[in-house]
Amino acid sequence: MTVNNIIELRGVEKRYGTFLAASGINLDLKEGEFFSLLGPSGCGKTTVLRMIAGFQEPTKGTVLIDGQDMEGVPANNRPTNMVFQSYAIFPHLNVGNNVAYGLRGKAPKAEIEQRVAEALEMVELGGLQDRGASELSGGQRQRVALARALIMRPKVLLLDEPLSALDKKLREQMQFEMRNLQQSLGITFVMVTHDQYEAMTMSDRIGVMFNGRLKQVDTPTTLYARPCDQQVASFIGEMNILPSKLLGETGNMLSIDAAAFGRIEIERNPNVATSSKDMNIGIRPEQLEIAAEKPEDYPSTVQGTVSNVAFYGENIHYHIQVAGAEKPISVSVPNYFHTVDFKRGDAVWLGLQGASVIDLGTDIE
Amino acid sequence: MIFRSEASRGYTLSAPATAYVGFLVAAPLVILIAYSFWTQTYVTLDKTPTLKNYSDAFADPLVRHLMLRSIWIAGAVTVVTVALAYPIAYFIAMKARKKTIWLLLITIPFWSSYLLRVFAWKLILGFNGVMNSALMMLGLIDEPLDFLLYNEFAVVLTLAHAWAPFAILPIYVSLQKIDPSLLEAATDLGNSPLQRFMRVTLPLTIPGIIAACLIIFIPTVGDYVTPALVGGSDGKMIANLIQVQFGAANNWPLGATLSLIAMLSVGFVAIVFVITATQIGRRIR
Repeated sequence: MTVNNIIELRGVEKRYGTFLAASGINLDLKEGEFFSLLGPSGCGKTTVLRMIAGFQEPTKGTVLIDGQDMEGVPANNRPTNMVFQSYAIFPHLNVGNNVAYGLRGKAPKAEIEQRVAEALEMVELGGLQDRGASELSGGQRQRVALARALIMRPKVLLLDEPLSALDKKLREQMQFEMRNLQQSLGITFVMVTHDQYEAMTMSDRIGVMFNGRLKQVDTPTTLYARPCDQQVASFIGEMNILPSKLLGETGNMLSIDAAAFGRIEIERNPNVATSSKDMNIGIRPEQLEIAAEKPEDYPSTVQGTVSNVAFYGENIHYHIQVAGAEKPISVSVPNYFHTVDFKRGDAVWLGLQGASVIDLGTDIE
Repeated sequence: MIFRSEASRGYTLSAPATAYVGFLVAAPLVILIAYSFWTQTYVTLDKTPTLKNYSDAFADPLVRHLMLRSIWIAGAVTVVTVALAYPIAYFIAMKARKKTIWLLLITIPFWSSYLLRVFAWKLILGFNGVMNSALMMLGLIDEPLDFLLYNEFAVVLTLAHAWAPFAILPIYVSLQKIDPSLLEAATDLGNSPLQRFMRVTLPLTIPGIIAACLIIFIPTVGDYVTPALVGGSDGKMIANLIQVQFGAANNWPLGATLSLIAMLSVGFVAIVFVITATQIGRRIR
């Protein structure tokens, strides 16, 4: 079964005067997927979303929705609907009229009423039609905004930082709810976020943007395990980045000199553009073994001193100062009720497997 | 400490304003009400309470006529001013780049005296005025038009010009407060620009429109300078009659009665207007 591309961006560029907000964006979004555009603020992700919605026209390139070129099609005639960052709930209308807004005059009254009731039921606000807009909590506003957009049965739902205004607990709850909603409706969701955890927990695929460019588009697991460069690697989760030397390659394996960790064999990362003699490797903090005695069965070990301890509840983070490394190495250990418990200044051993080292290639900047 | 409680501190702080309002608004109003129940007998004042002034005023067709005409002219001024002010306010709030400069330009008429502005209109609209000379010079007319000045039209035009900033500012403020994402949301939900204006912008600016209407309507009903200068006999309003009572006719009790009747009529019209406008706003969905 082939899945259609619901959105295709072809060489899309947006320029404001001399400022390039987005450039060279090529992206295919599949029907029914949950896609996130992830990046730091000002990276151009919202611009891309607004070009899909039709609030901004690309300076160059083409936006196709369901195979149709959207050039010259105003936002009100596009088969997309949006959940705004501020939710944009109409303050002069009650919940029912807010949700019914887009259907007024387009469907018979009885049908509108029924669809409003269904939409509110879907976002768990059943029966709140008469509630005033000003009487809603942040979470309820978000649900009204969702219902108001989904009632239009869009081909694509666009979400602009939909959870950023909510507190942490509510945000986590909404992440699951929105994901479930998207899967049961089968509508394509495109979400813009700067929160990597939000993107990872909700999305089928993530597009990472920096400085107006789409750097990597992949599933959350691939992004985490095989980031395309240093920038993406350090934006998605935590990463120890160590400058290393490439000693030789055999097939898919690279032999490198990983500074303090010595000589080690690692797998080539297919997402990396180039690898020359000077290259970087990445090590996730949870992939390192930490022990009081020199660990066995690890091809590479190094001794260091604990310079910092941070307790996160489920994890303990250690900063280990190692001879030959500029920055301390981050190590994260699951908190199995104090099986490991090091203090600042303790001497420890770190153990590393070649399989947990990520080839980050050479940065071409 | 003298000001021990919150309340006494509050009273002390508001005392100057309270005294000011008491002496300059409440007291004159009480005196006015008292006068309306008295009678003028040539030079002396008969202080026996009577309703004769009221029955006289209601019986006089001139009073009724002038009152209705005042409300009609003030209503026309309000409609014209707000209708012209809305697009200006919209332009400044939504489209203009240098808002401060535009707002400054709008207040420029205030830099000259109100009386001068009325005289300026006299010069423009007069028989040998700017308008007529220009039209004659262009050969569009053979003799001066005489319907420009000394009628209701001249009063409405002059007042609409004088009160324009008072309409622009409250509407501007209410437009300025609209979150732009609300307009985008309306577009996103399928509205054309016109539909969006009718369903979002207009209902959200109703408070501004109501404020503008009241600010213009209430004072213009009682305006007497403008009708006296550019109104002629057709443009006379209730305030001109009241002024005569306190002046030439020397009948203060009747003047007071007319003032109170005007005040109550205006209040009534204003309340009906506010309720209607609010109701209309609620109907828009």
